[in-house]
Amino acid sequence: MRIFWLIVIFMTVLLPQTTQAATEIEISAPGEQTIPLALVPFLPIDGPESPKAIGGFLDALNADLELSGLFRFVNPDAFLDDAAQLGLFSTQVNFGQWRLLGAETLVKGAYTLEGDSLVVEARLFDVVNRRLLTGRRYVGRTKDVRRMAHAFADQILKALTGELGPFSARLAYISNQTGDKELWLMDVDGHNSVRLTNHRSIVLNPDFSPQGKELLFTSYRANNPNLYRKEIYTGQEAKVSFKKGLNVGGRFSPDGDEIALTLSKDGNPEIYLIDRNGAIRKRLTNSWGIDTDPSWSADGRQVAFVSNRLGNPHIFTVDTYTQEAKRLTTQGKYNATPAWNPKDDIIAFTRQENGRFDIYTIRSDGTDERRLTFGPGNSEHPRWSPDGRFLVYSSDKDGNRAIYVMRADGTGSRRLTTLESDCRHPAWSGRW
Amino acid sequence: MSATRLSFNHSNHDHPKLGRFLVASLIAHTVLVILLAGGLFDSARRVKPPVYYVDLVHKPVLNPQAGRPEARAKPAPKAPAAKKAVAPQPKAKPKPTADKLPTAKTKPTPAPKPEAVKSAEQRRLAAIEELRQKQARQSDIDDIKQRLAKLQSAGASVPQDVPIGMPDGSGTEAGVSVVSHVQAFIQSNWALSPYLLDQSRMGTIQAKVFLVYSDSGELIRYRILEPSGDSQFDDSIKRAIIKSKQLDHKLPKTMELTVLFNLKEMAAVRR
Repeated sequence: MRIFWLIVIFMTVLLPQTTQAATEIEISAPGEQTIPLALVPFLPIDGPESPKAIGGFLDALNADLELSGLFRFVNPDAFLDDAAQLGLFSTQVNFGQWRLLGAETLVKGAYTLEGDSLVVEARLFDVVNRRLLTGRRYVGRTKDVRRMAHAFADQILKALTGELGPFSARLAYISNQTGDKELWLMDVDGHNSVRLTNHRSIVLNPDFSPQGKELLFTSYRANNPNLYRKEIYTGQEAKVSFKKGLNVGGRFSPDGDEIALTLSKDGNPEIYLIDRNGAIRKRLTNSWGIDTDPSWSADGRQVAFVSNRLGNPHIFTVDTYTQEAKRLTTQGKYNATPAWNPKDDIIAFTRQENGRFDIYTIRSDGTDERRLTFGPGNSEHPRWSPDGRFLVYSSDKDGNRAIYVMRADGTGSRRLTTLESDCRHPAWSGRW
Repeated sequence: MSATRLSFNHSNHDHPKLGRFLVASLIAHTVLVILLAGGLFDSARRVKPPVYYVDLVHKPVLNPQAGRPEARAKPAPKAPAAKKAVAPQPKAKPKPTADKLPTAKTKPTPAPKPEAVKSAEQRRLAAIEELRQKQARQSDIDDIKQRLAKLQSAGASVPQDVPIGMPDGSGTEAGVSVVSHVQAFIQSNWALSPYLLDQSRMGTIQAKVFLVYSDSGELIRYRILEPSGDSQFDDSIKRAIIKSKQLDHKLPKTMELTVLFNLKEMAAVRR
């Protein structure tokens, strides 16, 4: 009995004291909102250094990682002797040196160049935990070096965020550099642009299929705005919708089975759903106003569009099953080109204020409206990257209309096309 | 000889103040030599003394003081002001007396000496004068108090209820509290990009970690009590803890801490 009471006294007197000893504190924001990254110049495994061959890799990787907004780069001038060591295994890296420089992550690599054949070994290390996060070996030709870098940038984002980056994808856009508005394709950093159409007419509004490698676009080639589908690698083209009047703004559904577009076959432009061969499946809108610019929600359940049914052009959403339409924007006198984020319930759109177009975002429930672009010029045609982290758009803020990319919060804007000609209507492909 | 005298006389006659000037110059130079020899101007030739930087802000202490000097001054009013006003006031507030005192000066105090020989009438007059001065001082003090009260009520001075210095400062040591120091240190080592996370979880995501630091500032052990469920967030916290395994100061004693990591501040800013 005495022992029992001793235990009770112990429990009631001593234990609470030991538990109270831990002081509680709250840290409600990180001290640094970027990850310190050391990006080390790659070294040759055998033979002499070839900065010309590998330089593009580091440039492209640096640009991709900077655009991601995740990193703060450690100044290369401060690198110590480990930067000159070839070691690609975690046991060979002097993590202490990198810790000393404040790096939390480290990119090291090596390459072999034989003629035009290039092999690149790239590694991402966690400096603090002294471990390899991801490593890849790329084999290709020297002209592929930037694409190797984009692929590795995607892997870095996957290692750190759990989701692949969008840098290996492609951007489609409309350019008049040949004199006519044609469809073009380029890498996400603006390199390797190639013309896809030769309609010698007006080509508009491209959209990638979710599986990639296939594009929808509208062309006036037959003197009517018809919808076309083009396979990128085979070059094969097919008319999908060529009804009387408008066949514009075609957008693949998330599963790729259906296409939402604007048809004016009955006089008034309305939103329809058609299959991949052009057969009408459903009419989504039915109002006296002009309904145009459809964009699918990530789950394929809703479509955002522009309508002037209540007066000024505003963004609406329509349920594809019930066909019930809901008004989304209430501000501004001209709202257009909605683009639904593929990963989130956010819709980007353009609004004209004071005679100038800027890009905004709004939640699909009509809340949390934010303006993303500021300054001179018109910023239009926003489209999301497949991971929903970035927006590509066209703007004439630097003179002629060019393609730009920025983060989803409007930061980090960067010009991609440097042509004298106008470039507009960009679209970001899915995983390539 | 006579020529010399003549010339001397002549010069004396032409410059009557020259002699006085020479004497004055001689005295001045002598004084200067004495001063220089005495090392008065040594400081000008000396090398600047080293300046020692004392980190009072980040030094972790057990009993941090409340902070600014005003905070220390506050306890003084604790003493019932009305009762003890007369005695301590001349010390604490010399200014109010400055106006009136010079008129009476301290003459009443040296008075006691002749007081012995003075008549009773004179002593009575001196006492009356002293009493009058006290009353004058008191009225001045009351006047100043009234003005201070007005200023405080108008918000021109630090209001009484505003916390001054460290929120948890109640002791006498210069420095920050140990807990605040460790908190700031861990926070500075926590790097996390908002782009790593699901934006919709920014306001709700959190993780709780238990840490034990020895008095030498070394992390003895840690345990994640409640992970957030987001691997990026949890990894960033682990990195911050590993980077904080050795504090930059010793601690007054071994410490056990439960740290709640969240992004409330960041979410509020991004809203």
